[in-house]
Amino acid sequence: MFNLTPVARTFIIAIIGAVFLVVTATECNGYVLFILALICANALMAIGFNFVIGFLGQLVFANTAFFGVGAYCYGILIFHFHLPFWAATACAAVIAGAFGAVVGMPALRIGGLQLAIVTLSVNELMHWIYVHSGSFGGGPSGLNLPVTHLFGPFGISLTSSRAIYIVVFVVSALFIWLAWNVMRSSTGRAIIAVGASPQVAGALTVSREAYTVIAFALSGFFSGAGGALFAFTLGRVAPESFGLTQLLFGFAVVMIGGLGTVWGPVLGAALLTAVPQFLSSFQGAEELIFSVLLVVLLLFMPAGLYGVVCRIWPPAREERHVGTPSLPC
Amino acid sequence: MFLQLLESGIAQGAVYSLVALGMTVLYRTTKVLNFGYGATFMFGAFAFYVALKILGLPFGVSVLAAIAFMLFVGVALSVVIFQPILKRPHLFTAMMTVAIANVFRGTTNFVWGGQVQPMPPVFKAPPILLGSVVVTSQTIVIVCTTAVIVMAFFLFFQFSEIGKLMQAASHSARGAALIGVNVPKFNAMMWAFATGVAAVAGILVSPITLLHPGMGGPILLKAFAAMAVGGFGSLPGAVLGGMILGISEQLCGGYISTSFMQIFPYLVIILVLLMRPVGLLGTQEVSRV
Repeated sequence: MFNLTPVARTFIIAIIGAVFLVVTATECNGYVLFILALICANALMAIGFNFVIGFLGQLVFANTAFFGVGAYCYGILIFHFHLPFWAATACAAVIAGAFGAVVGMPALRIGGLQLAIVTLSVNELMHWIYVHSGSFGGGPSGLNLPVTHLFGPFGISLTSSRAIYIVVFVVSALFIWLAWNVMRSSTGRAIIAVGASPQVAGALTVSREAYTVIAFALSGFFSGAGGALFAFTLGRVAPESFGLTQLLFGFAVVMIGGLGTVWGPVLGAALLTAVPQFLSSFQGAEELIFSVLLVVLLLFMPAGLYGVVCRIWPPAREERHVGTPSLPC
Repeated sequence: MFLQLLESGIAQGAVYSLVALGMTVLYRTTKVLNFGYGATFMFGAFAFYVALKILGLPFGVSVLAAIAFMLFVGVALSVVIFQPILKRPHLFTAMMTVAIANVFRGTTNFVWGGQVQPMPPVFKAPPILLGSVVVTSQTIVIVCTTAVIVMAFFLFFQFSEIGKLMQAASHSARGAALIGVNVPKFNAMMWAFATGVAAVAGILVSPITLLHPGMGGPILLKAFAAMAVGGFGSLPGAVLGGMILGISEQLCGGYISTSFMQIFPYLVIILVLLMRPVGLLGTQEVSRV
């Protein structure tokens, strides 16, 4: 179990995922399936977030904008253009990725807190655009999406919460697998190098400019995919889902899950999406309990949930510095 | 019309400046970027509300009680939460401030259930007419208080012994500790300063925005913007940035459109920071490899 080839490891994780999917899809009720689907969408959003704040090491708050762009692209493509699910999701992720690359441009010139404020402003601008989008984007009340079809107008229609969950799970698993591989590729290592020290990376001919934009584009791509799945799960897109609260939630998911890891955000999303549901029985006190929990987790788990997992079971550590670094270009 | 817009712009700007000032003081000395400052001044306003309405204390005593309470909260936060995690990355402390903000908001939500509470204005004087411009007494109070606090901070940091020691402690914590400065104590003091200013800001703002758990969010964002425009860590920059934002926002609302007004400040920030990344009064930080 400790010296597995990457292929064998991927295979084992895929089997575990498949078993989990089958068990949850057959045993859980609609509400639980809905929460599980939300966890998948949030996990992708947080993985995207982690590309810039974890791997690239920049304080960037535009990920709610990427998430929102993904969700709105998906919604508009479904609502106005009647695209099937797969095409709308793919388009949404790509458009959000392109948007991410554009937002990443200022990061070439400014950094640190200034970049944080500029990206925060991008969030607010996008939120304003959603609210003032008129009938095209639904305006303040948003768009209620019609029933979607998986492959085409005559294909499988996705109505039951079970079907929605299975599709969301499989798609987000694919994206997580993709993110995992990107981070282990030369591109991922170059991003980490730029994040660790732009000067050293530059001396090794790893272009800070190119990989900063690439990291932003990847961030937009994964967050956008999460947004599309989020819109699909909810069946609607509305501006209130993409405000400051969502931003801070995403930030918390990354920090609690584990900064700079692929699996950390998945764990963080699972915990932070599920816990408020359990707390809803404490009328009025859920926010207080949740926030105290956040403070305690932050105080006692500096490396996040994934850090705890790695301490208990060391082979889980993401071996991103291992191997011969083949430099790009 | 222009002068009237200017008047409300200055009132708005003074609020942004005051909030930005509290965050700047903290950022400058402890390097903690406080994303929880909105909730902090909301909490201060609620402390004032409790003293005034529930305990039935007179107005002046309530103000002092609220400020004293928030000073205590600041020291407690510094000692219990932030001192132990000081060595961790900035992202971490930033996240912690978010969590603390949630605790504040959760507490008020738990007690008052998110309802909007009305707040009495600081003085109930009739508005003054200066030519064709109506100046409300609340504006005067806000602007004067901000001016006094700005002056006090400026004098304190520039001329007093403790202020200079604090600057030293923030510039190099290790160096200051070597010459016998009690850095944790100074950090606790800065937290107390910041939360005390938050209490003042909360008391001044709550008659305008009304008192509810979510009142801090929009002002927090504008105050951040003010810090960024003025230059992070610069006290005059925070005031200048706040004023620019407040006035430009009102002028935009008056001459262009009110719906555009909500995002106008953000366009200003993006423009200013792309042209001058360190902000108007900021200084370039040199990083070494």
